[in-house]
Amino acid sequence: MEFYVQILINGLMTGAYYGLAALGLTLIFGVIKVINFAHGSMLMVGMFTAYWIVKLTGWHPYAALLLVVPMLFIFGYALQGIIIKPILEAQRDVREPTEVIIVTTGVWYILDNLALMIFGAEYRVVPTSISGQVMLIGDYIIQKPLLYGFITTMVTAGLLVWFLKYTKMGMSIRAASLDRDAASLMGINQYRVYNIAFGIGAAIAGIVGCVLIPFYYVFPTVGVVFDVKCFIIVVLGGLGSIPGALIGGLIVGLIESVFPMFMTSTWTELIVYVVFLAVLFIMPAGLFGEKRDW
Amino acid sequence: MNTGSAKRKTIDIMLKVILAVFVFTIPVWVSSPTTLQILIMLFLFAYLTTTWNLVGGFAGVLPLGHSAYVGIGAYTSTVLFISFGVSPWIGMWAGAVIAAVVGVIIGIPTLKLRGAYFALCTMAFGEGIRVLVENTMQFGPFTINGPRGICVPLIPGNNFAAFQFASKVPYYYIILLMLCVVLFITWWFSRTRPGYYLAAGGEEPEAAQALGVNVARYKVLAMGISCFLTALGGTFLAQLTLYFYPKQILGLDFSFELAFIALIGGRGTIAGPVVGALLLRPVGELTRIYLSSTLPGLHLVIFGLVLILVMLFQPRGLVEPLSKAYDWFLDKVSGAGKEVKS
Repeated sequence: MEFYVQILINGLMTGAYYGLAALGLTLIFGVIKVINFAHGSMLMVGMFTAYWIVKLTGWHPYAALLLVVPMLFIFGYALQGIIIKPILEAQRDVREPTEVIIVTTGVWYILDNLALMIFGAEYRVVPTSISGQVMLIGDYIIQKPLLYGFITTMVTAGLLVWFLKYTKMGMSIRAASLDRDAASLMGINQYRVYNIAFGIGAAIAGIVGCVLIPFYYVFPTVGVVFDVKCFIIVVLGGLGSIPGALIGGLIVGLIESVFPMFMTSTWTELIVYVVFLAVLFIMPAGLFGEKRDW
Repeated sequence: MNTGSAKRKTIDIMLKVILAVFVFTIPVWVSSPTTLQILIMLFLFAYLTTTWNLVGGFAGVLPLGHSAYVGIGAYTSTVLFISFGVSPWIGMWAGAVIAAVVGVIIGIPTLKLRGAYFALCTMAFGEGIRVLVENTMQFGPFTINGPRGICVPLIPGNNFAAFQFASKVPYYYIILLMLCVVLFITWWFSRTRPGYYLAAGGEEPEAAQALGVNVARYKVLAMGISCFLTALGGTFLAQLTLYFYPKQILGLDFSFELAFIALIGGRGTIAGPVVGALLLRPVGELTRIYLSSTLPGLHLVIFGLVLILVMLFQPRGLVEPLSKAYDWFLDKVSGAGKEVKS
């Protein structure tokens, strides 16, 4: 019994940082109605930024948030403003322009391979003050970096919901996501809203970077691992839904920790794909999605 | 019909005949196997991209998992050859049928969804197939070998029945012929009723549906044809390289490269994929040969950059300005342009 509880705990902890990784993707989709294929690469940029800051300064990874989050926000803001905005302007009438998928895929390839050219293909780890530490709660072993990740996920999601609900900018973002034309008529600069939404998505990718470096490898194609997982999570939870992303993340985390008990662990990856395709076939809107989005 | 436009037509046909003769006689005066290999790969990519274009271009959706069908073709013909000695010439049709059935099964539920969902779904399916193959060592009587991949048993000399040749020349003509056939199919498809329905559905799905066109059905049809032809290319690739493994033949990078070439060349056009392969493959090969040790991944950075620039400034692909330039050239040579204006 205890053994199974331990597995569930591990699954939920893993699922939490998956959910956090998917949060930015679902936010950007909710607002711009565009799947950002470069999301994994933004995570990779976040991880490398966090890696270098921790490596060069020796700070606690969570202190690095102070630098990583603003840097990634600017990165995302600029990416949307320079590369994606012209496409959105040209495709004003299309609700979900395919061109954006294509362009963000281009961004994905450029970022991943630039990282490969600059940093090389090796897997990097940086020792941090919380790496590998565990604590006992009752009889259960909790890995501290994962626990901090879990808490960070909940805090980030809470802050995001608060921001969207109660701040002026948050309300503008929600208005633009409901009806971009009506929002523009109300005096909301929709492209500025998009820039900010993209910036926030990238900033969350920066948070993920800081959460991951105490226990994860950093390498140029790390984004691909998360990219496919994030797509699955957001579709599972419903594109554009914040609780959906968190719950989708937990589901994937649980699948990955529970199924290896019954089969070779390499098969669990396949289980995740099968669940994903089944959800798409049976209820494309996902658990919390809106019907109009598919 | 005035003399200018007749002359223009003659020059147009003459240039095309010269091009065809040039392409078909290349092996006569090029003896370097390396050059031929690069050309063969170029035509293979042109072929695969053209089949991608049947669904990715004409149906207006974005399939990002076409390597799955390349892999199905390659694996089917090869395991049949190894286990039962079935000639790859026959095995390739079995692979094509399997790929078409799989494509239709995947297409029926997903082609009704919005574009982004279809892209995600094909991508997840492609990755799922890769994981499945990587985890399978043995499937019934067939050896799959998991992540280690499969070697096609080598048969020395030129053996037509085994689809193996010591020289590159037969491969060159086979892929050239396959490319011509698939270009003809695309041309024919774009001029038949399903082709028109697809074009209408791709441009204005709501309007087409309002006119009673079952867009989803024709998209599924295009998907089936596309997967069928893609798998044939997969068998060719297997016979050309004689060794393949899941990460290479079923990988995400392969799927994306096909999509990139079509998108840069011009999706939904007949010449677009060929133009794309003609422009991008040499860039890829040359950077891979000369710079891969110092700057790994440079060709993918270039692909990504070109892709973004094309999407920003020439969203219909590079074939559009090129065909305009060709028209301008014809007008200039024949003097037809002036007569039309006056």
